[in-house]
Amino acid sequence: MKIITIFTALIVLSIVWGGLIFFLSRAVKYEKMKSRNGER
Amino acid sequence: MKQQEFFSSRWALIIATIGIAVGTGNIWRFSRVVAQNGGGSFLIPWVVFLLIWSVPLIIAEFAIGKYARLGPVGSISKTAGKQFAWMGAFVAFVSTAIMFYYSVVTGWCLRYFISAASGDLFSTADHLAYWNTFSSGYQPLLFHFISMLIVAFIVYKGITNGIEKVTKYLVPSLLVILLILFFRAITLPNAVEGIKYFFTPDIEVMLDYKVWLNALTQNAWDTGAGWGLILTYAIYMRKKEDISLNAALIGFGNNSVSLIAGITIFSTVFALSIPGTGEVDAMVQISKSGPANTGLTFIYLPQLFNKISGSAAVNIFFASLFFIALFFAAVTSLISMVELTTRTLIDFGFNRRRAIIFVAAAGFLLGIPSAQNLNFLINQDWVWGVGLILSGAFISFSIIRYGVDKFRTEIINGYGSDYKIGRWYNFLIGILVPVQVVALVLWWLISSASWDPEWWNPFHAENAGTCLFQWAIVIGIFVLFNKTMVKQIESN
Repeated sequence: MKIITIFTALIVLSIVWGGLIFFLSRAVKYEKMKSRNGER
Repeated sequence: MKQQEFFSSRWALIIATIGIAVGTGNIWRFSRVVAQNGGGSFLIPWVVFLLIWSVPLIIAEFAIGKYARLGPVGSISKTAGKQFAWMGAFVAFVSTAIMFYYSVVTGWCLRYFISAASGDLFSTADHLAYWNTFSSGYQPLLFHFISMLIVAFIVYKGITNGIEKVTKYLVPSLLVILLILFFRAITLPNAVEGIKYFFTPDIEVMLDYKVWLNALTQNAWDTGAGWGLILTYAIYMRKKEDISLNAALIGFGNNSVSLIAGITIFSTVFALSIPGTGEVDAMVQISKSGPANTGLTFIYLPQLFNKISGSAAVNIFFASLFFIALFFAAVTSLISMVELTTRTLIDFGFNRRRAIIFVAAAGFLLGIPSAQNLNFLINQDWVWGVGLILSGAFISFSIIRYGVDKFRTEIINGYGSDYKIGRWYNFLIGILVPVQVVALVLWWLISSASWDPEWWNPFHAENAGTCLFQWAIVIGIFVLFNKTMVKQIESN
């Protein structure tokens, strides 16, 4: 596999899947925080 | 009107909204567009437009719906001013017009699932003839009716008892099925060739402006940004609910699903077709549209599913999984389109029961031409598909009218927000989104003039004339009835 293919795959997957995991973890964190504070 | 129903939790809202965004476009359109635009060369601009088109518009839709608590007509009238209610009506009409033929497409998916599960799909070697027999008979009409009936019942049950309850099962099931198909596909021999093509960029192709415009179009169509659908679900989000983080989750979640579907289809097609042997060429098959862009999904993939293994039962299992996933994706999107039209009528004073009966009956009747005539469906898909870009422009315009900075600080970053967004949003929604709209609409119209010398002729299926003609009629009517619409909404 060419370096450019691996590089593109890494960029695309890390932004899209990485972004999803990042935002999901943030949402879980905020939800936990809110339920600890009795907001939920 | 007092708000009566809300999504019961953040996760219920996110799952239902993912259901809007993930549709058949992620599964069959995405792979075809990637193949036609040079594989990896397309993916880079596609990621860029996720960031500068989809996410800003999804944020905008969430914020407008949460603020106005009205469907597109009332919302745009509240943010842009009463004299622009017609813009909201146009947004609502575009999604409604798409709903008419999308119900037909949902019916195709259901019919192919039944064919695959019963083994009937594999009783023939000529899948083009199989498709032609199906599409020219009475069955598309029957399955259009069944799809509309199922979805109307779900929407009739309301937000928590209908939409939330159903999407809570369908969306996770869809994701699990796609993951099963994904792992099966990438473990097929020679699948790596498909993955290589999918991710290998060609710098020359990437510098072609058409690839960028196609990437923008794909984002506009498959994330549901600018359709008014997310705006409609946002009416039912609780006041303490966040906007920006939820919007980012929808955009990134949707494009993640597209990547899973794309890798699955490229791996399967490259693994099971044998290029150069005269049997089939993988790239030709992926990028070939077929009637109404159905070639890959309804004609070529059934041939491939028959070759997954030597066991008929295993082949039937995987084909059934694929078509049920497609059906779930279509149903969850169709639900939101029916809800948008229903909600618009509720704003005009209908109760939910009367509104849904009217929408289902109109949806079925006005979908009949698309169910019976593929050329009509192709025309409607073209006119209202491009119309979505205009819808996005109207949503962006309403924010500019409201005041971009005020909109960001008071509504997006207001009560309930987990994540405050900065001034960069003003630039994206106030300048970059309108610039993208102008570029895209001009490109579509100019391209259509190059492939149709009679570009002005409104009776051709896919050209500028038919778009301008149908848009002008719809906009003309809504401008004429602008005051009446505003009065009617205010009186409710």
